Amino acid sequence: MTFQSYKEADHAITRFIERGEGEFDQLALALHQLQAKHVPAIAALCQNRGIDSTTLDQIDQIPAIPTTAFRDMAITSIPEKNRTSHFESSGTTATQPSVHWHHDFSLSLYDSSLIHQFQYHVLNNHVWDEHTLALTPPPAEAPHSSLAHMAGQVLGDGTIYAGKWQKDGWSIDSQICESVCAKAIHDNAPLLLFGPAFSFLHWLDSTESFYELPNESRIMETGGYKGRSRELPKIEFHGLLSERLGVPESHIVCEYGMCELSSQAYDRKAGTNKERAFRFPVWARPIIINTETGAPCEGPETGLLRIIDLANVYSSIAIQTQDLARSIEDGFELLGRAQTAEPRGCSLNLLE
Amino acid sequence: MRDALPNYFLLDTQPEARLTPEVVTEACRQLKRNRAQYLRDMPTEEVITHLSRLAENWQDDLFPFRKMALEAEPTMTGFSRPSLAHGLDRFFARITEDNLHNLIAQELGDSRRLDAPLSTPEERSDNRLAFACGPELIGHIASGNLPCPTMMSMIQGLLVGSAQFIKCAENAGWLPALFAHSLYDTHPKLGACIELAHWPGGKSELESPLFDEADCITATGRDETLASIRKRLDSRRRFIGYGHRVSFAYIQKDMLSRALSRDLAQRMAQDIASWNQLGCLSPHLVYVEQGGSVRPEMFAEMIAEALDSLETTQPRGDISPEESGTIAYKRDFYDVRSAGAGDVRQWKSEEGTHWTVVFEEDPVFTTSCLNRFIHVKPVGDLNEMLRVAEMARGQVSTVGLAAPKNDAEAIVKQLAHWGVTRVCPIGQMQDPPLGWRHDGRPPLGDLVTWTDWEQ
Repeated sequence: MTFQSYKEADHAITRFIERGEGEFDQLALALHQLQAKHVPAIAALCQNRGIDSTTLDQIDQIPAIPTTAFRDMAITSIPEKNRTSHFESSGTTATQPSVHWHHDFSLSLYDSSLIHQFQYHVLNNHVWDEHTLALTPPPAEAPHSSLAHMAGQVLGDGTIYAGKWQKDGWSIDSQICESVCAKAIHDNAPLLLFGPAFSFLHWLDSTESFYELPNESRIMETGGYKGRSRELPKIEFHGLLSERLGVPESHIVCEYGMCELSSQAYDRKAGTNKERAFRFPVWARPIIINTETGAPCEGPETGLLRIIDLANVYSSIAIQTQDLARSIEDGFELLGRAQTAEPRGCSLNLLE
Repeated sequence: MRDALPNYFLLDTQPEARLTPEVVTEACRQLKRNRAQYLRDMPTEEVITHLSRLAENWQDDLFPFRKMALEAEPTMTGFSRPSLAHGLDRFFARITEDNLHNLIAQELGDSRRLDAPLSTPEERSDNRLAFACGPELIGHIASGNLPCPTMMSMIQGLLVGSAQFIKCAENAGWLPALFAHSLYDTHPKLGACIELAHWPGGKSELESPLFDEADCITATGRDETLASIRKRLDSRRRFIGYGHRVSFAYIQKDMLSRALSRDLAQRMAQDIASWNQLGCLSPHLVYVEQGGSVRPEMFAEMIAEALDSLETTQPRGDISPEESGTIAYKRDFYDVRSAGAGDVRQWKSEEGTHWTVVFEEDPVFTTSCLNRFIHVKPVGDLNEMLRVAEMARGQVSTVGLAAPKNDAEAIVKQLAHWGVTRVCPIGQMQDPPLGWRHDGRPPLGDLVTWTDWEQ
């Protein structure tokens, strides 16, 4: 199978996402061939490694682009004049952010990928017409935040945004959070809370309030702390959310996503108690790579997480993350991030 | 392996036995009693003899404690056996009778000044004598898995006649403990003046009794850790903190002749391989001056060849998935960069993450992810190098320097004014001499207190 054009690839992958038509491996290999022709960085990487894209027959052979390469160069097939928007990684201001370029077609794929998954995992396929609180700025205020964009796409029109954009990220207006919680309790109507883990911590650390949110309230939290707040292991963080907001752990859903990807993984469906494990939708597949050999891990050993994301039609289908993970159940568990080793015997903390 | 050792130190019984503040206080008081009884008045000459003999034993393959160190699982020591053997040999080779005498003489003017009041010629003209005393009890807050700094602190403390309580970093106590056991075995009275224990850093209920009992605290760690310790000490206690440091190498173009460069690259590779590059004296990157017969890029390739051949004699060994994951990820990143532009090249071990050399035209200072991962960058001259390394200024320990004798002095002066505290030949970065002034501070001079006796 080969694609002659991006239009053809876009249609085929949209059909796969929306109707399950086609076969993952074939689509992935065909899309990679197309990208190896049209994305200069992928073309150069293949040439450098002596890879002939037309002869690959396994998806784990597709050369993956490391997330930090999105900082350095435009990993995209979209010509400069057609790039209408972009998402940036939310690193610290000291480092240059990753940039994932988009245009209307790529955004449309992105949106269809995220809405479906959010509805399935967080809303259990119900239509949510209850209270919603986003711990992000409104999308118009933060046009380069993929999370704010996601909020705009998946949350309803009545969503209250507690995030205020500042030059190095956003801050949370605790009073807005408090009043939305109070209103939900007053109305005895469930509340959906959406935001990054560090924003939840900023809010909860700034007050001493405890809430008992109405039944069926739920939380979608995402991402690490990125040095923006104190750091808590996930179990303790979920315990804290549960204790302070009265939302049972079964209704706390953790999302894994990044600006370099177009698909997201979720670790549970709200309201269920199945053991947590991140699962991507059928159009994205995680591969855990042995850090020494570079080959896919066969058992549950720890390795680097690589994702083959069909929805990344116009950038790179294979993304190499810096996250350590291991397979559990039918998904994966995150084990932190590969970090620059500190000189043992003394330590250093230079800016990257 | 640990079961083979007697329970002399608190660390030997951990984690089974729980530490309490009372245990720490009592251990400190016992150390001070032992010191008064055995160590304080022991002639320096005798301490030197014991230490130098012990160091000699540690270089003997039949010495039981060396055997235990080398037979231990690499996961306990953090290093492959050949790497560890190499590191231990280089460390203990420095602890000789002559070197110990010279160290005290360098620091105190005369190697007998800890035994009795004596005078230097300058003091004599002033008609006075002086006597140096070490602290009664030194508390060391050790950090990291590199055993040398901790063992060196112990040796320096013994030389000035101090009892010592060493708080080891997590999973880093095995080799220092083995050294302390060997000391106990050689001379139980010296061993009785040392205590080792571990607790998670910052655990104030255990640290407070130590800070109350010790009259001198040394600590190695992050700036914030040092600041927080300093804040908790009252002004009568001496505090010696060693903070963030990085090291790098500078190769002047005249040293890059075809005749010299291969040997230089081999010595450079040894600096990278020693202790798997994990110490603060290990190079993060190599600046190579342009304009020599061998281009910087070619020199990078020579380092790669040398690292490859070192892998057979001093293999790096296994590292954690976090560490190898970082290397794998960085390699991917530089692979993409080298594919996209002609100004980056990468050489790496074929199987596994054992060594990596990245050459980049962009000279900006970069820290390495270590475990034998080195950056090589070209610069026009020393001034340019100091400009691009500005972000590391104030945090640089050692510069490994290759330069012709005639130019070296001027370079060293410039480096010193810029803030570098140690310059050494390539190949010796991880082997500072005994008299090395850590962070530019006198190693014994900072510990002792003088009593001047005017006549």
